[in-house]
Amino acid sequence: MKKLISIIVTAALTVTSVFALAGCNSAEGGESNSNGDNGTVASQDDGDEPVTPVDSDSDFKVGAIYINSQNDTSGYTYAHHKGITTAMKSIGLNPDTDLYIVDNIPEDDEKVKQAIDQLAGNGCNIIFGISFGYINAFEEKAEEYPDIIFSHATGYLSNDKNFNNYFGRIYQARYLAGIAAGYKSLAIGNNNIGYVSAWGTEYAETCSGINAFAMGCMAVNPDAKISVYEIYTWGDQELERQAAETLIETYGCGVIAQHCDSAQPQIVANEKHVFGCGYNSDMTAEAPDSHLTAPIWNWDAYYATAMKAAMTDPDSFMQTVGNYYEGLSAGLVDVSELSKNCEPETAEAIKLAKDLMISGEWDVFSGVKLTFSGAAGSVKVDKVNDALVTNAGAEIVAAGGASVDDGVIQGTMDYYVAGVTQVNN
Amino acid sequence: MSKFHLVRRADARIWRTLLFCFIGIVISLTIGAVILWVLGIKPWEYYGKMFTIGLIGNKYGYKSIEGLLKIFVPLLITSLALSLSFKMRFWNIGGEGEFLIGAIAASIIAFHSTGTPNFVTVLLMCLAAMISSGIIGVAVAALKVKFNTNETLMTLMINYIMLYVIRYIGETKADWNFFLREDSKRAKFGTFPDSAVMGGIHFGKFNLLWSVIIAIALTVIIYIYLKYTKHGYEISVVGDSSATAKYAGMSVGKIVLRTMFISSALIGLAAALTVSAAGTISDTITNGVGWTGIIVAWLGKLNVPAVFVISILISILQYGCQAAATQYPAIDINFADLLQGIILFSVLVADFAANFKIARKEEAKNA
Repeated sequence: MKKLISIIVTAALTVTSVFALAGCNSAEGGESNSNGDNGTVASQDDGDEPVTPVDSDSDFKVGAIYINSQNDTSGYTYAHHKGITTAMKSIGLNPDTDLYIVDNIPEDDEKVKQAIDQLAGNGCNIIFGISFGYINAFEEKAEEYPDIIFSHATGYLSNDKNFNNYFGRIYQARYLAGIAAGYKSLAIGNNNIGYVSAWGTEYAETCSGINAFAMGCMAVNPDAKISVYEIYTWGDQELERQAAETLIETYGCGVIAQHCDSAQPQIVANEKHVFGCGYNSDMTAEAPDSHLTAPIWNWDAYYATAMKAAMTDPDSFMQTVGNYYEGLSAGLVDVSELSKNCEPETAEAIKLAKDLMISGEWDVFSGVKLTFSGAAGSVKVDKVNDALVTNAGAEIVAAGGASVDDGVIQGTMDYYVAGVTQVNN
Repeated sequence: MSKFHLVRRADARIWRTLLFCFIGIVISLTIGAVILWVLGIKPWEYYGKMFTIGLIGNKYGYKSIEGLLKIFVPLLITSLALSLSFKMRFWNIGGEGEFLIGAIAASIIAFHSTGTPNFVTVLLMCLAAMISSGIIGVAVAALKVKFNTNETLMTLMINYIMLYVIRYIGETKADWNFFLREDSKRAKFGTFPDSAVMGGIHFGKFNLLWSVIIAIALTVIIYIYLKYTKHGYEISVVGDSSATAKYAGMSVGKIVLRTMFISSALIGLAAALTVSAAGTISDTITNGVGWTGIIVAWLGKLNVPAVFVISILISILQYGCQAAATQYPAIDINFADLLQGIILFSVLVADFAANFKIARKEEAKNA
């Protein structure tokens, strides 16, 4: 038996070293080959128009690491997968053959690193990671594979060559949804508006959304009061449901907005005959009698930009795309189609606010507030110099001052604006 | 009354087991092939990629081998450790929990190791992990020896306790929490300083981690320990019948405590090697070895060389499933897990069928 073990051990070692050598050889061949190909692609297109590839087997390959499955039918991974496939089609790549996916990868550096190795081994030219916790692995592997572009959603790290992060000004869309909620609160004569939130002031992502939504409400209904119920997790259907019920029953809210994964808050609003604004996707299907409009992401806007840049000239990716933080103007965020439940003034007011943000003339977190007045057909917007003040009374931006949207991008916002109250702690 | 019952085959033969397992695998692959076919994927291509762990056409093939070995090492050591306790009929199903204890202990050393030489750090990590996991193992064994508690329940609960401990650590942003990345607003496990990251022997670009060599050496040592030492003999006697062991003058309690210490400490060692190779910790760092290890130990009939071979096969299956799934956008990990499940299930059934047969009840017994 001793002999047997030594034979097995030797065999195992031999096999591994043989594979290792084989791996090295093919690796070298592969690298030089792909460089050459990138060069050819680069010379073929340099316009903003969607690229029509010469033929569909261009060697450009897209890699993606998902936190859930690409076969999901709603939610965060679904939104990104839809964005990636839509973008690929729009620039002439075939998602069935040019897309490599490692799915269900938890926020575990070792698993993310192995996923990246898989995608790199398959020759991916750009790798997207959609979850925050992939950050360490992306940082490390971006150095290890300088020829591949690493693009990480919701993160804060980057380098100046091949590693960027991307996210968007979803707060702009939330402001627009706030306008819809504001009109509804006026119509039903209930100033209490509820907001089911994954987190509160711990994350700029959540509190900036709450603040923007609240300011949208107050631009229409200055007496609106926003009650936030924090559920301390990104997604838990039962907690989301309970939070919405509490906001409606205990705090008398007539409109329920949300920043959490499922449509439960909207379903509850529908059951209790109040109104609501969903998130991530148009939730009118789930809540047909109550849903107004939802802030949504159009990730394909970013993915198309990133893929195009990586195809055209990967070396200048960090100059052409860089760290990406776009909003309404790039089409990255928007509100879903207004449902029949919206008040008649809503569409006009949203259009006015949207135009101001797209043109860059005005932004949410500045010392200028918008007020909407007038009936449907003659809605008008006025700009009023008014300080941005926290709900504790501290002044963040003086009246007429410039927007502090950097605080959202860099993740330093950690307060609620006046008018917002968190009802649970 | 049923007229049939199960009888253990008197003539257990290795070729029959292998043949039955082969048939089982063929059946399970056929089921998988039907599903693949329905999804519009050519099964032979998919299986080809799966069993070659995606090496063909891979630009960084050596990375795949490294990745495979990173799955293999903890699985092998854990399976061997579990075999030790199963051999004396001590049902240690707390592999996950013991692994996590070891991982946490090793990480505490790792995060405080800046400046310490690499070799010393890794050694300290291993020791810390082995001692802390070992103590938990001994504690459970002591409860069993003293109060005859149910070790299955006790070890099972340790899994859940430790899972929530590590989740708590991973999600709690606080001043005391040195496990997390400091510059991040969101809670996120940090990475170890270089002093705590395991090195290896380089063959070209391929990096053969020390943990692989340690694991193979351990396999040999455990084989010798079980086969040629007094301790090993005692374990098998206790497993056969603790009454016999007692009658023969063995101190059963002492043997149980000692073996459980070794078993848990080995799992702790597996954890230390894993976190050191990964350079970080997470709540999924076990990769399920505490559970898979049980299957490996039983498929290998608690026989060390067999456990070694089966660990390799299961690692290839796991890694290959992911490697193949990556190349098909329509296939997600759920399918890969399903296929793994079908294969393991049919192998277990085949193993059972090879060792038992259905026999007609004798009339005499009914009379």
